[in-house]
Amino acid sequence: MKTILLLEDLPEIRAWLRKLVMQVFPGAVISESARVQDAIELVQAVKFDLALIDLGLPDGSGVDVVTQLRDTQPDAQSVVVTIHDDDEHLFPALQAGAFGYILKEQARELITEQLQRISQGEPPLSPSIAQRVMAYFSAKAKTKPAASAPSNMPNVSLTDRESEVLLRVAKGYTLPEIGVQLGLSRHTIADYVKQIYRKLNVSSRAEAALEAQRMGLFR
Amino acid sequence: MTTPGPFLQRLRGLAGLVIGLVIGLVLALTGAAAAAQVLHIRSAQVTPAAGPVLSAGDPRASVALPDDWSRSRPGYAGTVTYRVDFEPFSSLESGDLLALYIAHVCSNLEVFLNGQLVHGGGRMVEPVTHNCNHPQLVPLPTALIRPGTNTLDIRVAGHRLAEVGSHQRDGGLSALAIGPMSALAALHAQRKALQVSAPQAVSATLLLMGGFMFVMGFVNRRESHLAYFGALSVGWALVDTRLWLRSLPMSHSVAEFLLCSMLGFITWAAVQFLMRYAGSRERFVDVAMPVQCALLPLSLVLAGPSRLHLVASFWYAVLALEVLAASLWHLRREWQRRSVWLMGPLLLTVAVAGVIEFAAQWGGTRPLAAHVAALIMPVVFVLVGLRLVQQQGHALNHAEQGKARLEQRVREATAEIERNFRQLSELRVEQVTERERKRIAADLHDDLGAKLLTIVHTSDSERISTLAREALEEMRLSVRGLTGKPVRLADALGDWRAEVVSRLGQAGIDCDWQAPEDLPQRLSSRAYVQTTRILREATSNIIKHSKAMRCDIRCTITDGDMLFVLQDDGEGITAPVAGRLDQGHGLASMKNRAKQLQGQCLVESGAGQGTVIRLTVPLDRAIEGS
Repeated sequence: MKTILLLEDLPEIRAWLRKLVMQVFPGAVISESARVQDAIELVQAVKFDLALIDLGLPDGSGVDVVTQLRDTQPDAQSVVVTIHDDDEHLFPALQAGAFGYILKEQARELITEQLQRISQGEPPLSPSIAQRVMAYFSAKAKTKPAASAPSNMPNVSLTDRESEVLLRVAKGYTLPEIGVQLGLSRHTIADYVKQIYRKLNVSSRAEAALEAQRMGLFR
Repeated sequence: MTTPGPFLQRLRGLAGLVIGLVIGLVLALTGAAAAAQVLHIRSAQVTPAAGPVLSAGDPRASVALPDDWSRSRPGYAGTVTYRVDFEPFSSLESGDLLALYIAHVCSNLEVFLNGQLVHGGGRMVEPVTHNCNHPQLVPLPTALIRPGTNTLDIRVAGHRLAEVGSHQRDGGLSALAIGPMSALAALHAQRKALQVSAPQAVSATLLLMGGFMFVMGFVNRRESHLAYFGALSVGWALVDTRLWLRSLPMSHSVAEFLLCSMLGFITWAAVQFLMRYAGSRERFVDVAMPVQCALLPLSLVLAGPSRLHLVASFWYAVLALEVLAASLWHLRREWQRRSVWLMGPLLLTVAVAGVIEFAAQWGGTRPLAAHVAALIMPVVFVLVGLRLVQQQGHALNHAEQGKARLEQRVREATAEIERNFRQLSELRVEQVTERERKRIAADLHDDLGAKLLTIVHTSDSERISTLAREALEEMRLSVRGLTGKPVRLADALGDWRAEVVSRLGQAGIDCDWQAPEDLPQRLSSRAYVQTTRILREATSNIIKHSKAMRCDIRCTITDGDMLFVLQDDGEGITAPVAGRLDQGHGLASMKNRAKQLQGQCLVESGAGQGTVIRLTVPLDRAIEGS
């Protein structure tokens, strides 16, 4: 039986989402929240399997809840449910540890399918997000020799296979297509995508920590 | 003194010219004296008498000429009368006068021929006219000359050595020369030029130049050596007036006192000039020199006029040593800093002139070399002055150039600052605009977007839900137009492919997508969104209405146009249905959107032949900013 956090400020949409989630995961225990602060308190009290998190909330950004969940409940899957479809809004949430995203305006059937995929460990990855991830890792590879990275900074970089998958996603190929092209199963490709998400999160968090340390040192 | 410029070359030439002139003058003088047929008188009868002419009863003594009072009658001051007898010249040409030439007499004289006064040099009592440096030419009137023996009485007024600062100003009479006026006049003119006119000229030059330099150095305190050099020049010009100025409105002792006192100031200026010119400044010297200037006259006053010569001689030695030390110090320093090609020889010349001057103090009558040496000194000053002016000119020129360069740099920097400021304000405007756009976009999303979204998911009517979704997408289009950055065409193709292929795949339709890769072009966000909407609508139509099994999608870029061809193998659209489709299923909106992008969307179809959609979007208009 799944425990699910639902963070959404609009009551109608929250109700709609709740119905949808109950359909996908029958018998799930759903905790609802309309504010970031409430959600963080819930996260401290309850262990979740899945969290659907809106980004733009009256008292802050859902990214904070994603971060909190990633820190305290690494097994919980955060999924961003948002009206913003651009990578500028989505990328920070993914860096914070979100495991996929769903656009709210999409048709019910599509969202249902995406939720199922995510719960089966196949997060969505759009070409533009893939582009952004590629740019992020290549910029990191360029600056790495110059940066005086401390020893505790994890050396996160993509494997050739992961880069290959990422490149193909960016070109618009679907995961099954990539599986056929590389002679691998769809699940293996999905695993690569998961790994890319994880590395993005680990690398971004290490960078954030380093940045915080630097600010602390130089203040 | 780095590389000698053309001016420097000229200066060297000038120095050579001056030295050549002096040598030539000396040679001419010696030559002229030897050439003439002249009677040289080297002895006389002498009596220290008060009367103008010797009488028979006066005590007489024979004396050799030149007669130096400091030797023949030490301590004597007053008048002495010399008597000389001579026979008139038989070889004198007609019309030529007989003349008496006296190279040196000090301080003044009167000449009597056979008891008649024929020449007076000026005042014979205090203040006695100062003729020590003036050669005397006395024409002897033919009417007064007797056929036999003629008598010349020369009455000389002079001072004792103890009361004068320099040997050349104590009483005395040189050897006499009697001969044709024509021969002696030339000699006299030459000596007068050397001893009177030339010192006058250089005094005037020094006075002008020194004054100019003094003002220049005084105004510009960093060039203090100029002020000292100016003071040195002016001081020297004043001292040199004693060479040619006959009468002063003061007594002899006061004049001597002032002259000696002035040497203290000249030394002060000389030492300071040599030090400052070498670029250094000693606190000790700054204090010691003025103190010395006060001590010197004080010592003269204390010693009294009768011991003036003694005290002055002592001071001359001290001052000369000081200047010598300063010169050596200057040369040593300049040797390390820069070359000494000018100052070295000039200071050496001054030293030689100084030695000659000192040596002349011990001799009887003043040798010719001493006159030349006295002339060399101011000439050297003029040369140094020219050099200083030249250096100053160079420095001025250099400063002008530096100023011009600086002004140029300031202009450039100002332009740079203005440019930066302009860019900064433009950037600021952009930033403000960007922030405002983002704020509007966020407001639209948060408010309008949320409300539309609520309608999308809560409306019972499928039509209203669809309309709300379309409104939401339109809103997003507007927001993208506000905030969206241009999208790389390659990325856009990736997005389109992902959406179309996955949707068709989910609907069980085989899809073959072919598009070029590695495209450098960018699409404006508006073109990107519109094209996305058209492709989405087309895909929806294929899925919902075509009953196709397969769809081929080709994207090509030709001549700045992006062409999409979507071909399915479905039922196609029959004519009456086409009209219905146009109204109900978005063909019209697809065409409309294409038109907005200055492109077109053509639909070809026939019953049972499938459907071909040709979408043309011109890239040059779609790229950025449209």
